[in-house]
Amino acid sequence: MISRHKNLLSYSFDCLRRYRMRTVVILITFLVATTILSAVLFTKDGLEREAEFSIESAPDLTMQYIKAGRFAPINVSYIDQIKAVEGVDEVFKRTWGYAGIGLNTYLIIGLDPDGLGYVVGPMSSIENGRFLVPEDDGTGNVVVGKLIANALDVKVGDDIILLSESVDTNRFHVVGVFSDQSSIYTADMMVMSLSDANAFFKMPEGTVTDLCTYVKADQIPNDVAAKMSWMPNIRILDHDLLLRGYMAAYGARGGIFTTVWTMLLVAVILIAFSQAIVVGHQSKFEVGLLKTFGFSTLDIIEVRLVESLIAGFLACSLGMLIGYIYAAYFNAPGLANLLLGWYFLPSEFRLPVYASAQSVFSIYTVIVIPLVITSTVPAWLNAITDPELAMRRAAA
Amino acid sequence: MKRILIIPILAIVFTAALISVCILNEIEWDNRTYDSTLRGVIGLPSIAIGCNYEGTRNPLLEIFVRSLYDVPGGHDYIVSSSFIESPIFQQYYREGIPGFNFTWEKG
Repeated sequence: MISRHKNLLSYSFDCLRRYRMRTVVILITFLVATTILSAVLFTKDGLEREAEFSIESAPDLTMQYIKAGRFAPINVSYIDQIKAVEGVDEVFKRTWGYAGIGLNTYLIIGLDPDGLGYVVGPMSSIENGRFLVPEDDGTGNVVVGKLIANALDVKVGDDIILLSESVDTNRFHVVGVFSDQSSIYTADMMVMSLSDANAFFKMPEGTVTDLCTYVKADQIPNDVAAKMSWMPNIRILDHDLLLRGYMAAYGARGGIFTTVWTMLLVAVILIAFSQAIVVGHQSKFEVGLLKTFGFSTLDIIEVRLVESLIAGFLACSLGMLIGYIYAAYFNAPGLANLLLGWYFLPSEFRLPVYASAQSVFSIYTVIVIPLVITSTVPAWLNAITDPELAMRRAAA
Repeated sequence: MKRILIIPILAIVFTAALISVCILNEIEWDNRTYDSTLRGVIGLPSIAIGCNYEGTRNPLLEIFVRSLYDVPGGHDYIVSSSFIESPIFQQYYREGIPGFNFTWEKG
């Protein structure tokens, strides 16, 4: 029994070599399709995971002021009202915005000195210098991301002069540079104290961009947020809302590509099917002969099944490996623009690429199963034909 | 080694290599906490994929509005502008992103 299967297996391997054109067509078409799809899916997964990771680290509730349907500075007088709500642990001020330097726009973040000690843990994201401390408030000390450090050619100890929206010059002193490892989060970031950021953006007295609210450990953020619904002009963002927004943004971009790829896959399957039909015609005589020698219909299907599984797994696995290398080591040139839309990818960091088990399994499923079906069905149709008739037809 | 065995062996080798990459990736991403303190201190949820449009790193992705310079009527284009070339996602977006409705109820 086992030797019978070994012989069938050996015959399948031989068929892969004998029907070389069919094998090559299947390998190349599925290799190209898998490479492109896997690069997009792995990048999308990486972007989603990075966003998910950032959102997990974000405040439990972010409070913003809405005026005329637009996001506007929030008055710090809200802090007392928020702190009075049951379940709220701490509220910190935050001012952030954008500064144009050269052709690009960078992110300026002003942190509340009181909040610097709230999240404890090793600060390993600084490559040179140090992170801000409460004593830096109002001193003009900043920590910059690698993108800014490279663009302005600055290092720890250097001064930066930035022009604000109100065309004032502002001098900042670099006390730290973020590491390469944290670039996905910090590349375009300049972190300073709250009062420096307020002065830079000329925020109206007593206002900040938003308020970061942390709830007590035993509280559910959504329940606490519900208790604030009476506050006028306030928009409350919780983790769930942010997560859905980011997942949809990156997922939709990946979705566009997946839609296009689905069409490509249909074309690829048609090619594979057409090849199977052609080869099936060529092998009619062979199938007739095999059946005369005692091969059953199941044996013939087994041969084609093994053939298509080997070709499918080879094309699919190699394609995914190439797709991974293309995205992880070469930043997926061509595809990244499609996936990122309006965004640009600073050369200072690499795309976050995540070859998740779910994506790998999905790609195997959508590639290998159609290939197996398009290969075995013609083989089955040939195999159920009377051997003598099959050989006569093939010879005709 | 028989020549007919080359393709099956390659299939096994590449599949094993891919599974190894996948397992390593899963482990790497599961243990990825190196800058969680920084992210916690700064508290901004977005990631640094740069953009020359304002609003990029707003927690609620106001880029979709601000990229149209927030002109009167611009809000009408929030959904359609987000999905140029992908109309099939419009419905999903409307339902999935309540935050895009600026009158979204609090809490």
